[in-house]
Amino acid sequence: MDLAIENVSKSFPGVRALDGVSLNLKGGEIHALMGENGAGKSTLIKIITGVHRPDSGRVLLDGKPVEFPTPRAALAAGIGAVHQERNLIPRFSVGENIMLERLPVKGGLVDYEAVHREARRFLDMLDRGIDTRVEVRTLSVAQMQIVEIAKALSLEARVLLLDEPTASITEHETAALFTLLRKLKSEGVAIVFVSHKLEEVFAIADRVTVLRDGRIAAANEPMSEMTRQRLVTLMVGREERVAQIRARPSGASEVVLEARGLATSFGHRDVSFELHRGEILGLYGLVGAGRSELARTLFGGGEITGGELRVNGRPVRIASMHEALGRYRMGYISEDRKQEGLILMHSVRENIAITIWRKLAGALGLVAPRSEARAVMPFVKRLEVRTPSINQTVGNLSGGNQQKVSIAKWLAAEAQILVIDEPTVGIDIKTKTYIHELIGEIAAEGVSVLLISSDMPEMITLADRILVMHGFRIVGEVENDHRYETTSKAIMSRIHRVEETAA
Amino acid sequence: MTTTDDALDAMPKRGINFAAMSSALSLVVIIVVFWAFFSWRQPGFLSSFNLLTLGRALAIDIVIGFAQMVVLATGGMNLAVGAIGVCTVMTSGYLMQTLGLPIPVAILGALALGAALGWLNGFAIVRTGVNSFVITLASANLFSGAMLILTKAVPLNGLPPEIGAFGKMRINLFTPALPVSPLLIIAIVIGIVLFILYRYSVLGRRILAAGANPRAAAMSGVPVDRVIVISHVLSGLLAAAAGMMLVARLGAAMPSVAGEDWLLPSFLGPVLGGTLLSGGAISVVGTMLGALLVTTIRSGLLVLQIGNFWLQLFLGLILLVAVLADRYRGIFAERRRLRRAAA
Amino acid sequence: MNQLRRLVLVEWSGLAVAIVIGAAILSMLAPNFLTEFNIYVMLRSFCVALLVGFAQMVTLGVGQMNIAVGALGGLVAIAFGGMMEVYGLPILAAVPVALLIGAAGGLINGLLTVRTGINGFIITLATASAFTGINLGITESIPFYKMPPALVAFGEQRIGAFPYLLIAPVIVAALLGLFFARTVPGRQLLAYGGNAQAAELSGIPRERTIVMAHVLSGLLAAAAAILAVAQLGSAQPSIGSDWLLLSFAAPIIGGAALTGGHVSVLGTLFAVILIALIENGMVLAKVDPYWVQFLLGALILAAVWLNRWRAVRTGTA
Repeated sequence: MDLAIENVSKSFPGVRALDGVSLNLKGGEIHALMGENGAGKSTLIKIITGVHRPDSGRVLLDGKPVEFPTPRAALAAGIGAVHQERNLIPRFSVGENIMLERLPVKGGLVDYEAVHREARRFLDMLDRGIDTRVEVRTLSVAQMQIVEIAKALSLEARVLLLDEPTASITEHETAALFTLLRKLKSEGVAIVFVSHKLEEVFAIADRVTVLRDGRIAAANEPMSEMTRQRLVTLMVGREERVAQIRARPSGASEVVLEARGLATSFGHRDVSFELHRGEILGLYGLVGAGRSELARTLFGGGEITGGELRVNGRPVRIASMHEALGRYRMGYISEDRKQEGLILMHSVRENIAITIWRKLAGALGLVAPRSEARAVMPFVKRLEVRTPSINQTVGNLSGGNQQKVSIAKWLAAEAQILVIDEPTVGIDIKTKTYIHELIGEIAAEGVSVLLISSDMPEMITLADRILVMHGFRIVGEVENDHRYETTSKAIMSRIHRVEETAA
Repeated sequence: MTTTDDALDAMPKRGINFAAMSSALSLVVIIVVFWAFFSWRQPGFLSSFNLLTLGRALAIDIVIGFAQMVVLATGGMNLAVGAIGVCTVMTSGYLMQTLGLPIPVAILGALALGAALGWLNGFAIVRTGVNSFVITLASANLFSGAMLILTKAVPLNGLPPEIGAFGKMRINLFTPALPVSPLLIIAIVIGIVLFILYRYSVLGRRILAAGANPRAAAMSGVPVDRVIVISHVLSGLLAAAAGMMLVARLGAAMPSVAGEDWLLPSFLGPVLGGTLLSGGAISVVGTMLGALLVTTIRSGLLVLQIGNFWLQLFLGLILLVAVLADRYRGIFAERRRLRRAAA
Repeated sequence: MNQLRRLVLVEWSGLAVAIVIGAAILSMLAPNFLTEFNIYVMLRSFCVALLVGFAQMVTLGVGQMNIAVGALGGLVAIAFGGMMEVYGLPILAAVPVALLIGAAGGLINGLLTVRTGINGFIITLATASAFTGINLGITESIPFYKMPPALVAFGEQRIGAFPYLLIAPVIVAALLGLFFARTVPGRQLLAYGGNAQAAELSGIPRERTIVMAHVLSGLLAAAAAILAVAQLGSAQPSIGSDWLLLSFAAPIIGGAALTGGHVSVLGTLFAVILIALIENGMVLAKVDPYWVQFLLGALILAAVWLNRWRAVRTGTA
């Protein structure tokens, strides 16, 4: 089956997610959809599967215009998908989740024998180790991902959309998936494959379409004519400029944050590091390596079960962010801007001032909006937050400006130790460079930064030293020479060494 | 600093809950229409006697609405508002009649009990992580069950006469034709305090932040658990205040007066006034206007002698119409905004 | 040991133990507890309560709540009684009409909820008030007393300790169990409650599923109301006014997830038995009936605490 997207546009409050995007999918082809976070890939997939409706443009199935008001309509037309969000019912069994679209019925009742038999058939194509009768909530993240793929396969769809299906599964499982995709392709299925891993795209895709900032950067190009270099340039954009970060002397200043053999309730073991004043210490690791969990533990979100944490040389136990900020001047910029970083329905002014209300309050614990505005204004200016007014609702700003606001509140709070988690996810290139320079600036002013990122170029641009985390342990430390080739190789070799010894 | 000040002046003065403002505006219109209708059908509606009675009832409805509103601000709800109210009513009666304590002491005791019961709610919610609906549903029955066991549902009629006299007092505002109950003045003062609390105080701002997005608020150093407990304490305190006003109005402590009867009014005021159930946005003025609408309809139906039986139906329909209207206004505004953004 | 632990972790195991212990204590303290008549009395009150619990359980399953369960029950009860007393409708005609009224009430709740996108709590709070208003407006709080003798007889007759009334809830429980465990709409209802977004992406129709839950809830409330009229022998406008707490207590104590997606027919049934046992115990011990309300509140708190503890223990918190 062939599927074409013609000139589709879609806006959300504050963002133009897709702008005149067209795409051609042919049966018997694997089509890679590439682009940075926030480029519009997921939105496009959601339009094809009837989750979102386009503001303009149309979808053609075998040349005929179609409209999918609901996911159900898209399913009925033979379009199946693995979305990025977890889409399983936690209390249902693996088998029932896989077969949920069309539970087999015998005599008016769900035939569970058939459910598990059928589910087994699809699951076996990927992984024989998962029992179809256990509840999904007991599975690991990787196992859930496998179940989701099996679920999409079970639809026997003519168009199959896979949005980052390999994000959290092993290489072995990825290989099994690829064998399967090639088989489906030979049966005439049109497949869209979204991934950030270039190796995977080169291994499996026939054609590639690249999105950048909601627009087409390259359309339907044959993979055989694509080079790695060109693909990256297309994704990142021509005007890419690497942030210039001033080199800082490392290790010379005093230690402000120190972990000694930390073990946590998340499963971290023997985590030790030292963060010096004015230093940017990188914490690199793949998804699931335990980076964000470590950050969370520093602020009381997890339990420290062993070892010790020291701030400014004194051992501490931090119970909450409230305590971390109030007592130790520590701040945390979350990777999840919308859920943890900002209060979307409140104004720019309130979002920045939230950390300093106590300081602004007068005798009766009252805060005058005017003094609040006065305190906030310098940061809005310094960070060049593009907003019509500081009273604008943050939810109406673009992703980049939202991120500036969530950084601004910690600058306003004069945090001395800042844990920054994936600072540029879903942010346009220009703002990204700006945020990199900003992080460099605040470090130069003496703020100590623990930078968590899975974005290798970002890490190499910013960090002074890089800790490599894998499987909830620190598996190595790399002195950053700010050269991509050498440092990235050094980092990956640390990870591979651990995987080999484990295997 | 001059540039900063210029930029400040170019901006709207302060953040305004526009949704609440527009529903407040339409509420005023609806209220005026009802007043016009009732006084046209029955001039007695505007008699000084009826205005005084209406004001007394209004005062209590407002404070009951506030008791719910302060918990709605956190994104939770308090089904125990009525139960706490009735517990404090009976406690104050017990302190005054049985123990013979002076009135101010009895009132303080009752307020303290309200705050304590509210604290229990908040503590249980924060500790168990179970949603406030279930906790307060259970605690409502726990509280009123305990009250009934202890009082055997016997009303206390022998309160000091001063308290009833206070409830019946009239303060003539401008002319004797416009009598105001001191209860109403108390309710308005409470409203002003709450307005300042949520608009200008650190605590109030933190409550709203925690209500709008608890995770983000916690990540910004707001002690979310503490803020939720405080909100429930405040709710208990306000429920107790409403209870005390009721004792003054009736001149007696009745065990049957609150309970589930307060459930609907407690939600009517805030919801009609534009307070979000999802938390993070409240409207003090809206809640007062919502209560005024409810009291107006109740009083109007009474003077028209339609009878109390249909009142429930009207209140239910008004609530439905109000939330529907609000919804469609919201959708309309959103569409207009999107169209502007696209242009 | 392992099996013992699994048994402890089964939702209704705690309830079963509580019921056995409670019954044992009562039979020791009150000699008339185990008499045929006392058991009959208990079972009678069990019938209506179980249906009320089920009426709330189905809305909890889809992740909603229905504050109007009792108000709708009251309206159906007086409509049912009124049809028979005022219009002389035969029982067999009045029952389906009464059920239809319940379903229609549920339909209104469901449609208003899905079409407006407003929180189901507020919608059903409003319709509850409206239903009660209609009920009181029609009856002016005066019950319909002249019920057909056949209905009154059905409400009183028994075989041994078993009242005829018990037939309805037993059938309903079996059907509901089958519905949630083995039918496609039942599974879809729970799937939607468990993860609304995932269910929609799997092609489960949002509106139809939520509306179905509300209609089912209305039907069950109506069934409860009909049984209540049969049990009382008259159509009281006050029927349903005390159902709110009970309706939540039974499914929650029975292990339903408040966030939706998980209900237990058996758990709810055990919870209602436990509640009936407590009520009966209070009567036999001749203590204040107010204790029932107090204990029910305490029981809900204990149940949510236990569920929480269980979730932490099994690592699914």
